[in-house]
Amino acid sequence: MTDPVEDPRLNQLVDLIVELASGDLAARMTPSPARDTIDAVITGINLLADELNAVYQHLEARVRERTVELAQAQESLQRLALCDALTGLANRSLLADRIGQAVARAERGALPPAVILIDLDEFKVINDSLGHSAGDAVLVEIADRLRGVVRETDTIGRLGGDEFAIVLPDTAEGEAMRVARRALLALQVPVSIGGREAAVSASIGLRIGLRGQDGETLLRDADIAMYRAKAQGKSNVQVFEPSMHHAAQRRMELLGELSEAIDREELCLLYQPIVRLIDGRIVGAEALLRWEHTREGTMLPGAFLTLAEESGLISDVGRWIIVSAVRTARDWLAELTDDVPFRLHVNVSAGELRRSGFAEFLRTTLVEHAVPASRMALEVPATALRTDEPVILHVLAELRELGVGIEIDDFGAGGSPLAALRDLPVDGVKIDRAMIDRVGDAPARQRFARAMLDLAGAVGLAAVIQGIETAEQRAEMQSWGAVMGQGYFFGRPVPEARLIEIARTGTPGPIGRAATAPPGGSAADSGEKIGCGREDSSSA
Amino acid sequence: MRYRWNRMPDDNEVMTTAANDDVTVAVVDDVIRLRWTEGVIISEPAARIAAAYVNQLSSDRRRPMVVDMSLTAAVTRQARTVFLEPGAASCIALLGRSPVDRVIANFVLGVSNLPCPTRFFTSETAALEWLSSVATG
Repeated sequence: MTDPVEDPRLNQLVDLIVELASGDLAARMTPSPARDTIDAVITGINLLADELNAVYQHLEARVRERTVELAQAQESLQRLALCDALTGLANRSLLADRIGQAVARAERGALPPAVILIDLDEFKVINDSLGHSAGDAVLVEIADRLRGVVRETDTIGRLGGDEFAIVLPDTAEGEAMRVARRALLALQVPVSIGGREAAVSASIGLRIGLRGQDGETLLRDADIAMYRAKAQGKSNVQVFEPSMHHAAQRRMELLGELSEAIDREELCLLYQPIVRLIDGRIVGAEALLRWEHTREGTMLPGAFLTLAEESGLISDVGRWIIVSAVRTARDWLAELTDDVPFRLHVNVSAGELRRSGFAEFLRTTLVEHAVPASRMALEVPATALRTDEPVILHVLAELRELGVGIEIDDFGAGGSPLAALRDLPVDGVKIDRAMIDRVGDAPARQRFARAMLDLAGAVGLAAVIQGIETAEQRAEMQSWGAVMGQGYFFGRPVPEARLIEIARTGTPGPIGRAATAPPGGSAADSGEKIGCGREDSSSA
Repeated sequence: MRYRWNRMPDDNEVMTTAANDDVTVAVVDDVIRLRWTEGVIISEPAARIAAAYVNQLSSDRRRPMVVDMSLTAAVTRQARTVFLEPGAASCIALLGRSPVDRVIANFVLGVSNLPCPTRFFTSETAALEWLSSVATG
């Protein structure tokens, strides 16, 4: 046996250990045939090196695996950060980036970009009536349609909710307008969801960029143009013009003021009598909203309610109207005997009805003020009433159960569905005399008016004819079988105190007619009756 | 009967001894005798064939086993995993002579969760005695 101290295998072992230590885990040493203790150490080191190598390989594999996973996670995070999860379109930040790139290209000689801003009309109705998943399905379909109308170089983004934008780099006005119109047409086709057709449309604003404009300005201007499109009756394209800017600024200013109007007690209600035609006796009054604006003077609802609807302020305004009207009703009822048939009419928008807890809020308010529900009637715009909207049907049924009267406002105007008369839980209809006036000659008008009144009567609904201005009109309506009427002939909208005087005397008479009229006449207030109402008469 | 195969035996073959270039397996006095050929590197395939021989020769019941691993050159990591699989051996005595055998054997023993009692011996007599004591409980 070799003396261990002089055994050359020991030096080789040292070399092996050095090799292993330097990272070469594949290094091995063959034991000698002696199979002595030194060979046992060699074998042991070989086996340990095997172990070390295996652990190392395993760790390496794990690190590679984790690195791939990390890269994938990073990629998907990036996608999430830049894409809209629902539609797969660019999100606001990616869109801003693309506008920025297009602006930079314009600085290098290309045409400035155009920006299209698209906002779906009445999307909330789809969400409320068909549910949010149906709403999401509509948004996905809209995204697909938009993909079909843009050019390869354009970027479509979803800015949030039902708002989309398209960036068109290096684009002249004509081409941008073509894309916008294609989008408008594509979005006018109803979307089919679960076998049902949901009507869609969009209001579109287009900003043709100018050299030197930044992305934020382009988006803001497209947004302003989009709002103009909404104001123009929706489902149309408007190209931004500098004059729109002033209007938008005023709009923002007004919005800020409106949000403070309730606290500043600038909102008020006026009341217009509703009378029995046969004897002119007052049977109720319609509450009409006014804004006593410090700078603009008395503002009619048409001038600010669309703004309130869009901004969500309508919720506060609507509740204020309910509470104020119920408080007034309480004061009046204290002065009227039970046998006096008097109902206070309040306008509500479809949006308010859809808002959860509306019926409960009304019930609580009535109880708090000890006003019987039968003394209140809600006027709901005919255009808002769809027999296939479960939310509306449900809340109408709740209100009915409460004992509140429900009337279809402006019946016959704007394609009111006949089925609504039959199927909705309502008590009455309000028909505008002006609508009857538009029908041919006197005999034709008479036939039309009678048909309307018969129709309402056939389904057991009381009818109120609005817009009666003269004694002749009153006589004519009466001869056609109308029972109740409203209009300047009986009285303009008056403050609370005046109306109670009228109610006490039983007939509006000259008191009502002499009452204050709002500036600018009457039917100027022909905007939507959203929680406000339009004073009744077609001229003043 | 004695077979020299470099292949796995078929399930229905009856043998008392099986062998290839790497290993010889026999049942003697109701003890499975497995002897690795001198200088062999026990790889995973070699270990699997050996295990199959053992299971084939002792297919009727589990028996004690002596594994003579004197003079084996090495045993790979993958081969050691084969020893984790339960087979026909009820207990195993690893038999070696040199310090090298002892190191190799203890690397085998170092595999956790061996399927049956397993120990290293340098004396065949001691090995058989231990097997017998384990077998009789």
